[in-house]
Amino acid sequence: MKSSVHSFGSWNLLTLSLALLFALPFFSLIVTAGSGGENVWGHLLSTVMPGYLKNTFWLMLGVGSGTLLIGVSTGWLISMTEFPGRRMMEWALLLPLAFPGYIIAMVYVELLEFSGPVQEQLRLWFGWQNYMDYWFPPIASLGGAITMLSLVLFPYVYLLARTAFLQQSATLMEASRMLDKSAVNSFFMIALPLARPAIVVGVSLAMMETLADFGTMQLFAVQTFTTGIYNTWFGAYNAPGAAQLSLSLLTFISFFIFLERYSRKQQRFNTQSSIKNVHTRYHLSRVRAVLALLFCIFPVLFGFALPAGLLIQWATESWRGVMLDRFFSDAGNSILLAGVTALLGVFIGLLMAFGSRLSKRRRVHWAARLVSLGYTFPGPVVALGVLLPFAWFDRTMDAWMQETFGITTGYLLSGTLFILVFAYLVRFLALAYGTAESGLERITSNMEDVSRSLGKNTWQTLKQVHLPLLRGSVLAAGMLVFVDVMKELPATLMLQPFNFSTLATRAYGYATEELLKEASLWCLTIVVVGLFPVIFLNRQLRQTAPQN
Amino acid sequence: MIECRNLTKSYGELEAVSDFNLHLEEHEFLSILGPSGCGKSTLLRLIAGLEVPSKGLVLLEEVNGKNVSGPGPDRAFVFQDFALFPHLSIEKNIAYGVNGSRSEKQKRVEELLKLVSLQHLASKMPHQISGGEQQRIAVARALAPRPRLILMDEPFSNLDYKLRLQLRREIRVILKHEGVATILVTHDQVEAITFSERVLLMHKGKLVQAGTPEEIYQQPQTLWASSFVGEANHLSAEWEETSLKSPFGFLDVPAEIGKETRILMVRPEDFILVSAPDGEANGIVKTVEFSGAAQTVGVELKSGEKIQVSGSPHLLWNLEDPVKITAERYLCFNSFGDRLDGFIAK
Repeated sequence: MKSSVHSFGSWNLLTLSLALLFALPFFSLIVTAGSGGENVWGHLLSTVMPGYLKNTFWLMLGVGSGTLLIGVSTGWLISMTEFPGRRMMEWALLLPLAFPGYIIAMVYVELLEFSGPVQEQLRLWFGWQNYMDYWFPPIASLGGAITMLSLVLFPYVYLLARTAFLQQSATLMEASRMLDKSAVNSFFMIALPLARPAIVVGVSLAMMETLADFGTMQLFAVQTFTTGIYNTWFGAYNAPGAAQLSLSLLTFISFFIFLERYSRKQQRFNTQSSIKNVHTRYHLSRVRAVLALLFCIFPVLFGFALPAGLLIQWATESWRGVMLDRFFSDAGNSILLAGVTALLGVFIGLLMAFGSRLSKRRRVHWAARLVSLGYTFPGPVVALGVLLPFAWFDRTMDAWMQETFGITTGYLLSGTLFILVFAYLVRFLALAYGTAESGLERITSNMEDVSRSLGKNTWQTLKQVHLPLLRGSVLAAGMLVFVDVMKELPATLMLQPFNFSTLATRAYGYATEELLKEASLWCLTIVVVGLFPVIFLNRQLRQTAPQN
Repeated sequence: MIECRNLTKSYGELEAVSDFNLHLEEHEFLSILGPSGCGKSTLLRLIAGLEVPSKGLVLLEEVNGKNVSGPGPDRAFVFQDFALFPHLSIEKNIAYGVNGSRSEKQKRVEELLKLVSLQHLASKMPHQISGGEQQRIAVARALAPRPRLILMDEPFSNLDYKLRLQLRREIRVILKHEGVATILVTHDQVEAITFSERVLLMHKGKLVQAGTPEEIYQQPQTLWASSFVGEANHLSAEWEETSLKSPFGFLDVPAEIGKETRILMVRPEDFILVSAPDGEANGIVKTVEFSGAAQTVGVELKSGEKIQVSGSPHLLWNLEDPVKITAERYLCFNSFGDRLDGFIAK
């Protein structure tokens, strides 16, 4: 656009180069996947692929229906009915989000495995001697993985379904009632179809998390693409193979990204502004009210209260025995990494959001949007995509230095914290960028024009107008990145320097050695940190709840 | 066909509808007129069965005088925001409330689309059609199950002025054609007057006055009614020995009424305004608003009270002109604001 006030200046260049930098892993995967030759691909297809596909299919189906059933039914009960304890359950249903899949999996393994307290008690009661005498559902299985992930991922569906039900015009349900339809009929013919786009968004998010999950699958020995990428890399150092698996996984994920975006667009028609938005809640009879409350307590109990309680118990039992200095050094590492990534993420996210807003060029918008895809990339994919180009750089540098100066530089960047932070940024920059962008959207371009007309330049405007207005979103963005880095497992496992560990990787290390009780202090800390975004979400929840 | 007996709905302390009685004939068009927050929508929702009354009954005559509980196919509701189901096409919206086979539904939908002259929109989605079209579809959907009573809650207030006039006329014709009885809730007196044969005036949950629009305008029961429907001047008055003393002279009023009278209500067009020399004048012109067909003159009386007078557009007044005011017609109200019966005009 010639008429544009802003020439293709430093801002566009900055935004574009940042976007390209953080899209680097994606391109490196494509290049690497193509370098292995046909036989690698054929080998994958004939060996591991069928198993991955089968497990992935059942996982999708299982976690999809699990989150759908729990999420929609609790969302409906909370938004449309009145029962004692409803207000408490409204936020309690978000608590399971604080548990990363691998931690809840660890707790349930410890609780339900052969030597765990539950089976021990059963043997005591019934006089069983060994595992031949009875059947107990194996926790480390596909079914177990589905249950674990459903328990911690259903809040996505709950949250979106609840908001969708609340935002539906109350007169629509009344119109249905006036046309002589029962409450059940109205639910299935009006409320549910109207909430469908939102529910699909929620399920898509849960599906993407499931596809990206590494810890649960690895602990339960369920072979999926994510564990496959990790094992192909660490087991066989087969980079092209791992890259090809990564791309296959990304194909699956892109389907859900598409579904999610499409459904968000659909939602627009179904949430029209209305005069009367406050619903008259269904008043439940005493028996039904108790049933509704129990129904809501159930997922909170098994998705949060029980595992959290067990972790607290185990932590108090075992903390004297664990190496506390090890705990503090791990916690220090986690906080350092999370803090540095959060600061950098917020800074870069703001720069890019601001640059993208200033720019009228589509190229820049697309580049910025590319970065937001990083969030949908599973940890092992990001780790691999970051690892490969840096290893190449180190090797090339080393060779060149040897040739020219006769000195060896070895691995300059590989195995350093720099790479780890870079990988975190690739994965979580989208959180900071997205939050900054939606915060910026609330600042009208007129405010920018006023500031400019009063003689301020771009930097001064950013500092004096945008930043003060953005403070809330910036803090939220920093917090979200911080917490996600604290919880991150697979990329950290793949990229952490030698003799270095974080809370997450140490906990996972203990778990693989079946020292689950020792890991409880580490796990508990991660869960407590994970509660912060839940509190934040809860505050937003209050804002979407109409007063009645 | 429908009767409300001592209908009361309270929310905690607040009585939104109190002790309301109403009787509606078959095919009758009734308006409930009142300011926002007067309880008229709640009353309509009670009749619809969308709200449960705290006290009293809603009786449908044909159901052996039984109390109705909950909505029924005999009553239909047209909402202020139309409440078309956004995920269903126009045909499916109309067919939603029709019971019967597929072909019966199809037939009824076609019938109704023809009635509202919107056959060409059958397969469109609600967000693809205009506000006026949505309004007509909402009426068609309400008529679909063949109700005997249509309840409408401010159905025209979401439309712009011109469209409102046109649709009000069209929908009245459609409803008359279908032979249904109608209760319209509105805060717009012109709408109430043009749409229905009978108007119920409602204030603070209570029925203030029932009657034809002319009756309410000519003989308002309370001071509040006099100023809600039309313009009104309220002036203080006092009984002195044998006649009623008003700011515009002594009035000849029967003693039993005059002794109770505290306030006089005079419509702007019922004043007579003549110019007078300073000695005879009882007021001074303070404002003049010229609006083509009429002229509104603001006069400050010697008593200090200010009144609005409608004057002929041919006589032009100047500010500070001394004038003499008399009233051709006036109504007497007691200290509670109720009209004193038996005396209407001079």
